[in-house]
Amino acid sequence: MGNWERLVWNQRDVLFAGFAVTIEVCAIAFVVAILGGLMLCLARLYVAPLRWVAIVLIEFFRDTPIFVQLMWVAYVWPEVFGFPNDFFTAGWLALGLQSSGYLAETFRAGIEGVPRGQREAAFSAGMSPVQTLQRVVMPQVALSSAPSIVNQFTVIVKSSTLVSVITVPDLMSQSQKLVNVWYEPIEILTATAGLYIAFVFLISLTGKLIADRLRQRFGLAAS
Amino acid sequence: MSNALKQSFDLSAFWEYRSILWQGLIFNALVFLCAACVALSVGLGAALFRINRFLPARVVGTLHVELFRNAPDYIMLVWVHFVLPILIGLVIRRRVEFHPFVSAVIALGFVYSGYFAEAFRAGMQAIPQGNLDAGRAFGMSERLILWRITLPQVVRRMLPEALNLFISLFKATTIVSLIAVPDLMYNVSMVIQQEMRPLPLYTGAALTYFLIIFALSSTARAFSERWRQKIQA
Repeated sequence: MGNWERLVWNQRDVLFAGFAVTIEVCAIAFVVAILGGLMLCLARLYVAPLRWVAIVLIEFFRDTPIFVQLMWVAYVWPEVFGFPNDFFTAGWLALGLQSSGYLAETFRAGIEGVPRGQREAAFSAGMSPVQTLQRVVMPQVALSSAPSIVNQFTVIVKSSTLVSVITVPDLMSQSQKLVNVWYEPIEILTATAGLYIAFVFLISLTGKLIADRLRQRFGLAAS
Repeated sequence: MSNALKQSFDLSAFWEYRSILWQGLIFNALVFLCAACVALSVGLGAALFRINRFLPARVVGTLHVELFRNAPDYIMLVWVHFVLPILIGLVIRRRVEFHPFVSAVIALGFVYSGYFAEAFRAGMQAIPQGNLDAGRAFGMSERLILWRITLPQVVRRMLPEALNLFISLFKATTIVSLIAVPDLMYNVSMVIQQEMRPLPLYTGAALTYFLIIFALSSTARAFSERWRQKIQA
């Protein structure tokens, strides 16, 4: 037990500083993923000239491993596009882009799941296409895709361990630094793994609760 | 900027090193195959535990699934490579070290066994009780029932989901380069250290993986679509 106290409890400030960075990266990536996914999805469905661009981007983000994409964004983009200028930005950008590809497909399934008759009814009630999207379609999409969105957040958290490779000081990289200082990996790495597993478990549990609540309140077959 | 753009799509540097990169890709495939075998067999075992009559077995099965489904694969990889050998060494009182390849197979295999266990379980629970009762009435042993009645139906039902999991597993094999398994990404970073030209090599790696996984996932999608129609008919 002495080892646990010396290596984990006494280092809690370092580990929590890393955990804070992890949460920060994941939160920004999550927002990017939702906004990006929404844009990609709407471009694919409603903006004819951009349709193929959106499809190519969605497929590229979905079918490239996150680690490869992370290295690509971190080392190639700064030269080609002039940004991101630091690795923290590269980290959330890569995580966000990958998830935006997945969320775009989730949103599309949600939009296509809204019965056609509702849209026609909105038109005949005199609503503009934008109003229809805003007031009739999107609220239902938000409900039906809420569980998948939460699930995508767990994917972001799991993938965020990889930003330690590009020297972002997240929980993973802090714990590896501690291992390199003390040369005693057992307690530190086990505690880190436990913390990640508990965090991801908590998120997916929250997701399940939200899904149940939505199902009860709105009678939706959210899955 | 246009110079950098030209450089990153000038894939001749990538092509120059094709033999070493090809060897790396073979390592990806090997890790994938071995980890898939581990994931399938451990996943099947965990699923059988989860639907067991005895409560302790169910608890163990559920713990297994929740633990590995919620674990990031990178931390599991690091844990298996650096902590597990020490723990085993403490038990058998001898110095143990894992070859990176072994660590990669164990870590990825166990992480994905959690997902496969859920797929197996969903398939098993969908089998009507009458099928099992009929098997028992014929005097088949539980094992025979598993192999002749349960598994053939489960495999048919879970195939589309399993294909998706296999593709995720293949994507996850890229991180094994971080514990020095000489896969494609590892060889790419080695070449970059020598050549100091990250642009074409990282772009080439990203495009290679994209093409492979895109081909795999569109085939899987088309196949699953047909398969669903076939088993519904």
